[in-house]
Amino acid sequence: MTTTRLDLDREQMGRDLVALVLTVVELLRQLMERQAIRRVEQGDLSEEQVEEIGTTLMLLDERMTELCDRHGVRPEDLNLDLGPLGSLLPRD
Amino acid sequence: MTTRQPVPWDNPEPLTGPIGVPLVDLLDRVMATGVVISGDLIIAIADVPLIRLSLHALLSSVSERVPAPWADGGPL
Repeated sequence: MTTTRLDLDREQMGRDLVALVLTVVELLRQLMERQAIRRVEQGDLSEEQVEEIGTTLMLLDERMTELCDRHGVRPEDLNLDLGPLGSLLPRD
Repeated sequence: MTTRQPVPWDNPEPLTGPIGVPLVDLLDRVMATGVVISGDLIIAIADVPLIRLSLHALLSSVSERVPAPWADGGPL
């Protein structure tokens, strides 16, 4: 049985795994951001709740870019192309 | 907030490329109206059923219609 040599580039595999995890995190972050906007527009939140949500989302966004930079993942890598369905995240 | 580019059926020029709304906007809209996912999932290997997952999940954003089961700041 000929052994086919599988040259798994450990570095690339690690980065792809990190990209997958960051994609899921980014998806959830954007979902929460949109839900927060809807909730704030609803108007049943107190002032400091809105303030707290805003700062939390902002910090999460900064942390997200920091993580992407540290792992050498470009933001557009996180955006999966779903073929006819379009894309996972907005291509702004 | 990032300005949202017009949805494909809004802008004047003819439709081009995949008429796809970003999935995250779709999910957001679905959650705004609320959705119930119910179903059975069997995870099997080599036709041997190993894991059964029976789902009756309500996925919705919190509103006066769908209140949170406990007050804010409750157990995560």
